[in-house]
Amino acid sequence: MTPAHFAFSSTFMLGLAGLAFHRTHLLSALLCLEGMMLSLFIALALWTLQLDSTNFASSPMILLAFSACEASAGLALLVATARTHGTDRLQSLNLLQC
Amino acid sequence: MVYMMYCLLFGLVVGLAAVASNPSPYFAALGLVLVAGMGCGVLVGHGGSFLSLILFLIYLGGMLVVFAYSAALAAEPYPEGWGSWPVLGLAVGYLVGVGVAAGMVMGGWYQESWMVCDEFGEFSMLRGDISGVAMMYSSGGGLLITGAWVLLLTLFVVLELTRGMGRGALRAV
Repeated sequence: MTPAHFAFSSTFMLGLAGLAFHRTHLLSALLCLEGMMLSLFIALALWTLQLDSTNFASSPMILLAFSACEASAGLALLVATARTHGTDRLQSLNLLQC
Repeated sequence: MVYMMYCLLFGLVVGLAAVASNPSPYFAALGLVLVAGMGCGVLVGHGGSFLSLILFLIYLGGMLVVFAYSAALAAEPYPEGWGSWPVLGLAVGYLVGVGVAAGMVMGGWYQESWMVCDEFGEFSMLRGDISGVAMMYSSGGGLLITGAWVLLLTLFVVLELTRGMGRGALRAV
């Protein structure tokens, strides 16, 4: 395991831990997801660059397009939540009546 | 160069620890900006000039601006950064965990860990990643069309989610 592999693996695990353990804001969870996607982008790009497999270089671009889809859907849910509940705190999302 | 790369990788881990340590969304977005910048430096150090440019322009310019704008929806009167103790404790805890894991695998790190793309770069006109990304337009055309279709579909998903007024996907808005 080279230092670069260790760095993006640990950033992925940090993002996963932040997503799993800390859920104060919905936006914090979305940002942790985005950090995981960013570490995956770096992982795919480093795979291309370290193995000299240049045909693989288009896969980080496709991953970036799909992560843009994920981010936009999550932010749309955030906007809808802010309009229904007035806040994006996840504590207020399991109220039965608002 | 190796020292520079170690600094960039350290900044990468510290930036994501800043995101994961449950601060206010302002500071989490700032940490993600740090991660994107450091990741751009890492990709440049490995010889991927075009992919780092994509990361910097598309990611920082396109997506993080939207995230920073959406942080206004989660506004707090007293935002918590690393100045408050629970957030700082969590960040230090994450960094100590990463440091312990690094100490376990550190024995296999040596100078030859840094392989870069294009060892014969002076014989070619393009960097390897540019010609690789160009493959997306010839052999990967099906996947390109799929990606464009998914982006178009996501546009309608977003419009339906944020429409409201008793007609969209969320009727209670």
